[in-house]
Amino acid sequence: MDNILLLPILVPAVSGILMLLIRKTRGIKEIATFFVATANLLIAVMLFRKELDFTLPWAGFGMEFSLRLYHFSSFILLATGFFGFLIALYCTTFMREKGALNQFYSYLLISIALVNGAVLSDNLVLMLFFWEGLLVTLFGMIFIGGKDSFRTATKAFIIVGISDLCMMVGIGITAHLAGTLTISKINLPVDALGSVAFVLLMIGAISKAGAMPFHSWIPDAAKDAPLPFMAFLPAALEKLLGIYFLARISLDMFKLDASSWLSPLLMIIGCITILLAVMMALIQKDYKKLLSYHAISQVGYMILGIGTCVPVGIVGGLFHMINHALYKCCLFLSGGSVEKQAGTTDLEKLGGLGIKMPVTFGCFIVAAASISGVPPFNGFFSKELIYDGALERGWIFYAMAVAGSFFTAASFLKLGHAAFLGKINDANKSVKEASWPMLIPMVMIASLCVLFGLYNALPLNNLIQPILGEHRLEGHNFSGMPTNAFLVIMTVLVLAAALLNHYLGFKKQGSGIKAVDHIHYAPVLHPIYDRAEKRFFDPFDIGMRVAGWAAKMIWYVDRVIDWLYDGFSVGMTYALSIGIRRAHTGNYSVYIIWSLVGLMVIIFLAVR
Amino acid sequence: MSNQQILLSVIFVPTLGAFLLPILERVSAGLRNWSALVFVLVSVAGSSLLAPLALKGQAVSVSHALPLGFNFVFTADGLAVFMALVSSFISAVIVLYSFGYISHYENQNEYYLMVVLFLGSMMGLVFSGNLIFLYLFWEITAITSWRLIGFFREKNDVFRADKSFLVTAFGALSMLLGFLMIYQQSGSFDLSVIKETFRFNPLSNTAIFLILIGIFSKSATLPFHTWLPDAGVAPSPVTALLHAAVLVKIGVYVFARLFVVNLSLGEFWHVAVPVIAGASALVSAGAALIDTNLKRIIAYSTISQIGFIFLGLAIGNEMAVAGGLLYILMHGLAKGGLFLCAGIIEQNTKTKDITKMGGLIATMPVTAIAFLFCAFSVMGIPPFGGFFSKFMVIVGTLQAGHVWIALIFILGAFLTILYLFRAFNMIFLGELKTPGVREGSAVMVFSVALLAFLSLAGGIFIRYPNEFVGLVLQPIFGMVR
Repeated sequence: MDNILLLPILVPAVSGILMLLIRKTRGIKEIATFFVATANLLIAVMLFRKELDFTLPWAGFGMEFSLRLYHFSSFILLATGFFGFLIALYCTTFMREKGALNQFYSYLLISIALVNGAVLSDNLVLMLFFWEGLLVTLFGMIFIGGKDSFRTATKAFIIVGISDLCMMVGIGITAHLAGTLTISKINLPVDALGSVAFVLLMIGAISKAGAMPFHSWIPDAAKDAPLPFMAFLPAALEKLLGIYFLARISLDMFKLDASSWLSPLLMIIGCITILLAVMMALIQKDYKKLLSYHAISQVGYMILGIGTCVPVGIVGGLFHMINHALYKCCLFLSGGSVEKQAGTTDLEKLGGLGIKMPVTFGCFIVAAASISGVPPFNGFFSKELIYDGALERGWIFYAMAVAGSFFTAASFLKLGHAAFLGKINDANKSVKEASWPMLIPMVMIASLCVLFGLYNALPLNNLIQPILGEHRLEGHNFSGMPTNAFLVIMTVLVLAAALLNHYLGFKKQGSGIKAVDHIHYAPVLHPIYDRAEKRFFDPFDIGMRVAGWAAKMIWYVDRVIDWLYDGFSVGMTYALSIGIRRAHTGNYSVYIIWSLVGLMVIIFLAVR
Repeated sequence: MSNQQILLSVIFVPTLGAFLLPILERVSAGLRNWSALVFVLVSVAGSSLLAPLALKGQAVSVSHALPLGFNFVFTADGLAVFMALVSSFISAVIVLYSFGYISHYENQNEYYLMVVLFLGSMMGLVFSGNLIFLYLFWEITAITSWRLIGFFREKNDVFRADKSFLVTAFGALSMLLGFLMIYQQSGSFDLSVIKETFRFNPLSNTAIFLILIGIFSKSATLPFHTWLPDAGVAPSPVTALLHAAVLVKIGVYVFARLFVVNLSLGEFWHVAVPVIAGASALVSAGAALIDTNLKRIIAYSTISQIGFIFLGLAIGNEMAVAGGLLYILMHGLAKGGLFLCAGIIEQNTKTKDITKMGGLIATMPVTAIAFLFCAFSVMGIPPFGGFFSKFMVIVGTLQAGHVWIALIFILGAFLTILYLFRAFNMIFLGELKTPGVREGSAVMVFSVALLAFLSLAGGIFIRYPNEFVGLVLQPIFGMVR
């Protein structure tokens, strides 16, 4: 019966491929996708909390098709199934008018299959197979977004593809050190080569999760890709997958502890990602793009939490992973209903939608409060745990994380104000609330945000803490109210400061969208922002420029080598033959002299 | 038919049959075309009939003694059958494609004769158990490739053909010197005798160096590589043949035959060859990112990928060699597909300059998808077959402890993603710059779709090619697993 583990991979993959073969079936694909996603969710529910192993011979040479279901993987499987189900439901109405996009459903299902496969794999190669396979669906999903979206699709493919290649090397080194490719048998120290392997695997993991400097395709995709893609991959599934793997490598596969230099490295990456991305989010004037920067920024908290290497931080990081997937998915979906109903996501053209779309607005408030860490929503609790861990490792990490919180709250006040409050635009007078298949997913997620906050023992005791296991938790239980009163007071103060900042900004500028302009146009920040807006700091563009220069240099090397054949050797041959031709004067006496000279040389050599 | 007869027919049906083709054309052009395909298919069928025996470790052998160690030996062991199957199968697809492609041009008799003779001599080379016969077939391929590269007879084409002939012939002569040095020590050209002779006393470095010059010049590796992009003036099915099935794989095959199966390389070469291959992979990948001629870009890509194959074979542990052999298969399928796509594009748009193309996905969707699939395979993206070969080569390198060499090659793999996407985007996406372009003829589109599909299937059903490779390697590495 263990081959039941193949179901979460085969069911969505096969139906996705079949759907790719069908062309014009308006309406049927949506329904079929919904049913398959439901089936996948049911399978995940059925498998939840089971422990199974399944192995098939596969590529040989130590590469086995081995799957392992245990606590952590069944949790991610369930989460994937849940988000897949909601997105499929949402799409039944959202995508209907976007005719050419119907390949989206196939990619959606195949992505679910690949994520399930990557999570279940107990062999590094098999995992990489599924993991990197996501590149193809990622490319496809962005590609179908519009006529020019291929640029973003290529960008995403190149960024993620290159980090996947790093991961390939990391897996090679890991396999070399451990002598096996079976994940559950690997437990390596982080010595010299071990830390190289860790860093390479980490690059793959955080790049999948979308941390800096591998982030820059996400804001572009927010503009070009179909919206459910954003809610599905960068907001939910890729975060789950990337952080899942980061947790696996730092908890199981490597003996990472706080004394290793890798722990500060992770925390620094986390903090930089939090701050820089949130600063960019602050000044965005587009609903989706603003959210996409937050999708980057929030990863920083998870990496920071796991990087602290103390139980409270790791629990916080993992809790934040699932919380973030929930509220960010909800936020993107709310952006989707605004786009669908009002026809735009440009904040300049929105405003006052709160009365017209009360349910969407309600869900937005819950999710925005969660992401800003307002008690008693789920984001508050996970952030408190991360702060606790960060403070234990150094006040600077804590300070950066809290600063990130301030800007997060400020940017969501701005977003909510600009989109849902204020004066309604003439064009939006007739906007109606979205239809129920779009509302149900949002409401479900929003209520989970509340539930996971008020009753956080439910996710923490059942989902998160078992991942670390009893011995690592050292008897702690992190559910319930935060224990550190200082942290809670600080958080409340920071939120109050953000509110005050918004109020003052609003008073000064007179509109919600301009409420943070005093930060945007602050003396030092203004020129930096200007350059950032012009993509001056995009790591991808910088990398491409460097690759271009390097290729140009190499090209000249190649041309020089070619010249050795086409120019040099031909020239030499001509020169030689001209020299010899000159010697052939046709003059008999000259030939005799040549022969005599030659004879004398031979005699000289022989006698000597 | 006995196994010996099968082996002989695999080699001699195409080599001798090739000369019948111009005569058959007197009856009808269709008969000639189909006969050409049949001759190649005989090699495919024969090789697959030999495969079960060879994989069981019972090599089929035909030999006839001649004086002075010049014996006439053909041996079908696992490695030879593997290479023969890959080459002949891809050649068969290319011949099928040629039905559509070459029908627009003059001198079709010469074309079919040379292509089939090319494949036949490849078969001879693959099964040769004697260095002199190996050399003989090696030079026949040089002559046929010279005629095929200069097929269009423009001044520049002939010049390029001469260049490729001169470079490879220079390499072949140097290799012959190396063979003579082996002969001096062992007194025979028979590989089985040579293997015994050099079991305990290693071959001199000079001989290895001379032979490697030959191998590198044939397989277009730095610094002997520039003839290969220049050879892009040939008709597209010919370039596909050169890159995917026969020509550049010859050097790789002989490397495996000599230095993996029969002779052992010294420690120095286990590092030196990967370093040269790495430099070759990087230089050509960089050049591919700059060049704007579609066929030259794909040719540089071949040079780069050949570097990976050499890496695998030269590292010499089981994982790496298995990866190298798998690479021969996967690269053959994908690169064949890319060139055949390039043929369709070039024939329909009448240009090879990618800056003058764009938006072709709208007019030739099947070709575009096939191109993308093959490109994914060359990049090494799962679930395409190229993923496994690249992965195994890299893992094998790391197992041998060469982290730096692996990193050089990963840099090459980065560039591979860049230049293939650059080409794909410029050809197929963006604004349509060449209006009125149609999809290629049915048989051509079928051929590219077949190769693209096999690139995908080879990855999803990786179990079967890898089992094959595992059996090929079993006699070499023993029953370690």
